[in-house]
Amino acid sequence: MQMKYFLLLIFSIGFLDVAAQDRRTVSGYVRDGGNGEGLIGVSVFVRETSSGVTTNPYGFYSITLPEGSYTLVFSYVGYDNQEKSITLNQDLKQDLELAQTSKELAEVLVSARREDENVKSIEMSVNKVEMKTIRKMPALLGEVDLIKSIQLLPGVSTVGEGSSGFNVRGGDISQNLVLLDEAPVYNSSHLFGFFSIFNPDAVKDVKLIKGGIAAQYGGRISSILDVRMKEGNNKKREVSGGIGTIFSRLTYEQPFAKGKGSFIVAGRRSYLDVLAKPFLNKDLRDSKFYYYDLTTKVNYRLGDKDTFFASGYFGRDVFGGGGFGFEWGNATATARWNHVFSNRLFMNLTGYYSNYDYSLRVGEETEADAFRWNSRIISSSFKPDFTFYLSPGNQITFGGQYINYNAKPANAVAISENERIDLSQQPKHADESALYIGSEQKLGERLALQYGIRYSLFRSLGPGTYYDFVDVEPGTRKDPVLPGKEYAKGSVVKQYGNWEPRASVNIGVSDRSSLKVSYNRTAQYLHLLSNTAASTPLDVWTLSSNNIKPQVADQVALGWFQNLAGNAYEFSVEVYYKKLFNQIDYVPSSSLLLNQFVEGDLLFGKGRAYGAEFYAKKNNGKLTGWVSYTLARTERKVNTISNNQWFPTRFDKPHNLNVVAIYEPGGRLSFSGNFVLTSGTPATFPTARFEFNGWPLPYNHGNLRNNNRIGTYHRLDLSATLKAKKKLFGKGEQEVVFSVYNVYNRRNPFSVFGRINEENVMKTEAVRYAVMGSIIPAVTYNFEF
Amino acid sequence: MIKVITMDFLKVNWLKSGLVLAIVPFLWGCEDVIDLETQTGPPLLVVDGWIYNQPGPQEIRLSKTGAYFDNAPATPALNARVWVQDNRGAIYEFKDVSSNGRYVWEVADSTMGAIGRQYTLHIEHEGEKYTAQNEIKRVPRVDSLIFTHESWPTKPEKGPKDGFIAEFYARDLEGAGDTYWIKPLRDGKPYKSNPVNISIAYDAAGSKESATDGLIFILPIRQSLTIGELFNDKDSVGVELLSINESAFRFLEQVRTEASNGGLFAVPFANIPGNIKSESGTKALGFFGASAVSRLEGRVDANTARPRR
Repeated sequence: MQMKYFLLLIFSIGFLDVAAQDRRTVSGYVRDGGNGEGLIGVSVFVRETSSGVTTNPYGFYSITLPEGSYTLVFSYVGYDNQEKSITLNQDLKQDLELAQTSKELAEVLVSARREDENVKSIEMSVNKVEMKTIRKMPALLGEVDLIKSIQLLPGVSTVGEGSSGFNVRGGDISQNLVLLDEAPVYNSSHLFGFFSIFNPDAVKDVKLIKGGIAAQYGGRISSILDVRMKEGNNKKREVSGGIGTIFSRLTYEQPFAKGKGSFIVAGRRSYLDVLAKPFLNKDLRDSKFYYYDLTTKVNYRLGDKDTFFASGYFGRDVFGGGGFGFEWGNATATARWNHVFSNRLFMNLTGYYSNYDYSLRVGEETEADAFRWNSRIISSSFKPDFTFYLSPGNQITFGGQYINYNAKPANAVAISENERIDLSQQPKHADESALYIGSEQKLGERLALQYGIRYSLFRSLGPGTYYDFVDVEPGTRKDPVLPGKEYAKGSVVKQYGNWEPRASVNIGVSDRSSLKVSYNRTAQYLHLLSNTAASTPLDVWTLSSNNIKPQVADQVALGWFQNLAGNAYEFSVEVYYKKLFNQIDYVPSSSLLLNQFVEGDLLFGKGRAYGAEFYAKKNNGKLTGWVSYTLARTERKVNTISNNQWFPTRFDKPHNLNVVAIYEPGGRLSFSGNFVLTSGTPATFPTARFEFNGWPLPYNHGNLRNNNRIGTYHRLDLSATLKAKKKLFGKGEQEVVFSVYNVYNRRNPFSVFGRINEENVMKTEAVRYAVMGSIIPAVTYNFEF
Repeated sequence: MIKVITMDFLKVNWLKSGLVLAIVPFLWGCEDVIDLETQTGPPLLVVDGWIYNQPGPQEIRLSKTGAYFDNAPATPALNARVWVQDNRGAIYEFKDVSSNGRYVWEVADSTMGAIGRQYTLHIEHEGEKYTAQNEIKRVPRVDSLIFTHESWPTKPEKGPKDGFIAEFYARDLEGAGDTYWIKPLRDGKPYKSNPVNISIAYDAAGSKESATDGLIFILPIRQSLTIGELFNDKDSVGVELLSINESAFRFLEQVRTEASNGGLFAVPFANIPGNIKSESGTKALGFFGASAVSRLEGRVDANTARPRR
């Protein structure tokens, strides 16, 4: 019933109109003059009324005003401002191309957005880092890495070097919705977490939303990482690429249909295996070890009102040899249709398919002893989003989403002495539907509101056998009640619905400062079962069920935003408090893989996270960059763990300081540096040993989890970029990047733990484990023509 | 915790695969031994007892906990009264004849343990009464020891480059829920007895989740006699197959996890669950186990060994 009223509300919006014949609309797309890419977040300001809007993720804007003459000012950092005088006595279409500011100036600008966005925008707890900046930051082994770059933002932490994913405001890595052209990516890492799967040459825009999450986003409780691919140059053919220490890259962009369409194809592959081959002896010659990804996108404009996009990603890590194989990867495909209904109603319709799978194989199935295991999760979705431009001060967004999940945790067989053992687990099906409506409203010069609500409905669906579990002893594995309950195809096993209210307020204190407050509730129906310090590619995504309730989070945030010296400096201080419900933990010796009764190994508890984030950013001049400092805690409380007390999570880092500096004196040479200083990760140390069977075994008296902390982490990275004097093929550019990771060669601990000495079994010792134990220099060559 | 048979398979094939080459440059990380100050709690009673269906003396060792990084031998727990009672009412007294905390039952020409019987351990120590229960479950016989020629791609740190993999063949007994502890032998004595090498089986595989009732033990379990290095020709190799109950299986599983639980894929530390209970709630650590034993020994023979797989 609730759903029905909600639908009614949403569809009535379409007919809403401020009934005034004397109002006219100017609308259109703003694009980059150099390559035709739609520009996101361009300010369109009406001088006469001192009001304005910003372009949406496709570069579209729409403003409705009383009839009259106006001057529109289009401004975007990194681009020359443009003014257009219009006479609005009928609806107008005004597309525009902005030219990048002359080379030298543009190079020193860190971000491409409205200059005073920090203060004026309703958004808070949002960080955008332009790809241009990410590309300049020093990177591990010289491989530009989107995920590692956002780890330097306030409120973002990680369990340690070499681990996959990132933690936002006390959430675990599975609570981030990582979107690549709107399709979710289930594993954002190559090589267990050392490199991210995003090809920097194919990414146009990156936005991390940590709070104040608008109603159109849902499905994860901690953050949204919205990655948008380049559309492809529609002005001229462009080839770019590079040779790095790990990957070699090649990107090709080309217009077609006289610039109405364009496409981009970008590929990367690691090539260590190719170089190593001649040096391997014959036993190892069939070894496979490489990872690659392919990103592609096509767009086509049909008339003024319609634009079509199709994009895809395919990436894979492959290891094998000697009868052994292990591979994993993501594949996503997205199709989008932008349609302008009236010049005030914009629609984006998205359909996507996303697949994550892995396989492990030992031996061949024809052999006497072998093992094979495939696991995958597929989600496909249909998602209409509408924006209705009611007035310059009021935009309404509404839409919905339907997602179909198909999880196959294990299709596995073990063969032992020619006897086959089927280890497969039953596939699980579910769907998730959501409807939302939100409004962004300006009330006068100094007050802006954004509010909305999202209703999400999750259904765990048959066919399949579902079990209840009974406690044997609290905190240990629960036993399934056999034989379980059978569900027919399409029947509902369990259903969960959640209202997710969202609201933000921006109170302009002055032209250069504002106070922002936000609240959001988010719900998550998909859970990554992972009990290890760093997530592994084998971790299984599991759907909510009769035993796993959805995770829910409530977050409030309050922030002060200040710009200084003509928007050259941005400052912000934000405090947040987050409560998390139905957080998953695990019984000791839990078995999360190939276990059809895995739900019996789960424990559920709650979480809390709170902190203060300080952020100062310099946007222009020869020296640009930022300093961020986060003071934060994140804890969980789970019955039977840590004596039922609150305990810090593995990614609880009270202090987290990041400095990013890019120095471009002009000329061919430029420099950059990162400095990171964080608290050591929490750890549990044994307090006592007891002897059993001639072994000294560990025991912790208080039975407390993570009540100690390992040493502080700090690291400096530097890089220098030298642009070639000679133009490539007379027109292109080339550069060489020298980078050094961990400049002062610090052995930062990933963990400290107790263990038994290998040689002397009666001896116990404390071990410090560092993932990157040394200084790592690298050279990368990039070109573009 | 990654302990499924997958990982057992991985271990076997680890060195043979290119994975090492691919990952080592990144995952070698580095480990160094450091000094670490940790808090120490009050000393607790520790029970280290396992009885067998074999003739001869049986021993229950009692000691006290010490500081984890102390490395001093454990203080024995003396002056305790220790006895075991079986489900037929027979009582077996254990005496600390050497005053070193090793309480021994010994009656000439007699065997204490028998398959199918339940045993209760009783301890009275420093005013507290402790008990623990276990049973001796059935065990299948070990059919054979098989040796296979193998050579590593490069000279390994330990053992020969060209040598032999030893494996044992036995079939899990019909009926789900049999659990075993596999102990490798070298020259008739325990070989590489380190908790990280603990080999346990649930039916014929490494964990309860795989339905392997009544099968021949799977390859990684069979080959768990070969630990980190190959055997040489003429080496004396053997195996002891012990029946254990499910709580012993869980205990040993956790012992193995906590013996070296560090690095990228470590799981949160958890105390090892023992089976010692006390009358008034005083905490005691350790385990009282009971097993039936099958044993087989053999000698590597290059001439009869199977060719390399």
